[in-house]
Amino acid sequence: MESNVVLEAAEVAKTFTERSISVAVLHGIDLQLQRGEAVALEGPSGSGKTTLLSILGCILSPSSGRVIVNGQAVNSSRPQLLHEVRKRSIGFVFQQFNLFPALTALENVEYSLNIRGHRGIEARKEAERALESVGLADRSNSLPRDLSGGQKQRVAIARALAGRPPILLADEPTANLDSTTGLQILRLFRTLARESGSGLLIVTHDPKVSAFADRTLRIEDGKLVEGSSPMARGPQDCIPQNDQEVMERGALTS
Amino acid sequence: MVDLARKNLLHDKLRFFITVAGVAFAVTLVLVQVGLFVGLLDNSTVTIRHLNADLWVTSHNSANIDFGHTFSDSYVYRVRSVPGVNRADNLIVCFTKISLPNGAQESMEVYAMENFERWGIPWSYTGARIGDLRRGPYMLLDDSAVRRFGPFSIGEYREFEGKRMQIIGRTQGARSFATTPVAFVDFDRMQSISDRLLRGNTTYIVVKLEPSADLEAVRRELQRRLPHNDVFTSGEWANRSRNYWIESTGLGLNMYLTVFLGCLVGIVVVAQTLYTSTVEHLKEFGTVKAIGGSNGLIYRIVGQQAAISAVFGFVLGAGQALALRPLLSKLQLQMVLTPDFGIVVFLGTLVLSLAASAVSFRKIANIDPALVFRT
Repeated sequence: MESNVVLEAAEVAKTFTERSISVAVLHGIDLQLQRGEAVALEGPSGSGKTTLLSILGCILSPSSGRVIVNGQAVNSSRPQLLHEVRKRSIGFVFQQFNLFPALTALENVEYSLNIRGHRGIEARKEAERALESVGLADRSNSLPRDLSGGQKQRVAIARALAGRPPILLADEPTANLDSTTGLQILRLFRTLARESGSGLLIVTHDPKVSAFADRTLRIEDGKLVEGSSPMARGPQDCIPQNDQEVMERGALTS
Repeated sequence: MVDLARKNLLHDKLRFFITVAGVAFAVTLVLVQVGLFVGLLDNSTVTIRHLNADLWVTSHNSANIDFGHTFSDSYVYRVRSVPGVNRADNLIVCFTKISLPNGAQESMEVYAMENFERWGIPWSYTGARIGDLRRGPYMLLDDSAVRRFGPFSIGEYREFEGKRMQIIGRTQGARSFATTPVAFVDFDRMQSISDRLLRGNTTYIVVKLEPSADLEAVRRELQRRLPHNDVFTSGEWANRSRNYWIESTGLGLNMYLTVFLGCLVGIVVVAQTLYTSTVEHLKEFGTVKAIGGSNGLIYRIVGQQAAISAVFGFVLGAGQALALRPLLSKLQLQMVLTPDFGIVVFLGTLVLSLAASAVSFRKIANIDPALVFRT
């Protein structure tokens, strides 16, 4: 039977060493992300959220423990091959959007597809579909400098979703947006992730983000503390449709 | 596929312009310097190439055509008697002083033969028939003499070696490496008016072989009969004359140095601008890595940018060099730019630009994709 787990961390630890001083940032992290599931990862600054995200995103290798992506253990002893795992299985959304300033919205999405091995008209059509899904079909020829923060993040979401990777990792996706735009973006992101069946992990400071998650995990001093799922929701549950609902759910998780 | 390399390069137009301008400057420098040098070398052998001879008999160890030493003009009879020789004539090439109407004296290089027409030089001329040179104290003077000697007309007189000589024609394209103006005079007259050094002497014997003659066999026989002279084929003699200027003077070194400096300027400009560009685009390259791009992909991006800069720089640089050619021509400076040389410079520009882009590779290899999470 096919497993629904798309991302798994087992006993993951990370220690940074500089000038013979070692700092343990993560301790024995165990985590699973299911297909179609949204998980919020909260924690104070310096708690290890971004380090954990980097390890789960195969950007950083753990000092010990295992990361299993789509059922296959990641070989951390060959970091030069990690880009293959990222290419095949992971879509990123960044706090700073990280769009290519010289490329139009459409080209930003298409380029990510090109890296994933899609070429020509197929990549162009897929990019157009992705942009349409985030409501930016009419801005496809705009450069990032001509887009608002919310529009940039929509392009970034389209880029992450294009090619339907099984795992979506988002780092503070609403931190640079006003609260209304942030909620719209989260709603859109969550909906699209669910539709595509991808597992979504969102690292955030913002308690409101948890309202869109099926589970909330809290990381403190490099250790994971599983938070309560406020309404015992699963992937099939509905996404909050208005601010009042968001506030209520967010308050329950914080 | 979306061309991130080209889009990024053209996104910052000022930087791109600076890179292209740097490459273009280097290309122009190399093309003009080498073109002028090749033009001078071309001048140094232009008469050898046009003179319809198979072999040249020179004095022993003559360095080049301009600096021939004398030997007896009667050796020509020995040459003519060698089987396989169709015809052989004496040729004097020497420097002399010409008195100008303003009282000044200038150097002039004289070519003297009994029968120029038979040997195909001068190859371009106006005025009297070449055969008329034998009829009196006449000379043909090359058009390029105007710059050194001032304007002159057919029918005017000039004095050299204390004798008045009438200009009965003008030639075109007869040059020397040192840009000394060239004149054509009858062989006997040159011997008679010159100092004692040329009396009964010549500086070269030029030889045309029978069509069926074995060149090497004739050469061996000539060398046997004239053991104190050297015998060269036209090609060897042209190379020897050319190499003299390259190897025995500082001019070749100067040219190589200029080419080296041109290449260095190009490399430094490309390397510096691409490195700065790489540093400024680190976060973008980090994003490329984060979304699955390999180091190899980023190397290709930077390499492609170097190649684009090289192509645009070459086109602009070559255009500038070609635009300079008519201006230099007005200064009697010939710039030789052959398609082969153009291809070599283009490939050199491409290779050196790609090599310059490699400076950024170390930076790329060390890009931490985790920087995409930093604010």
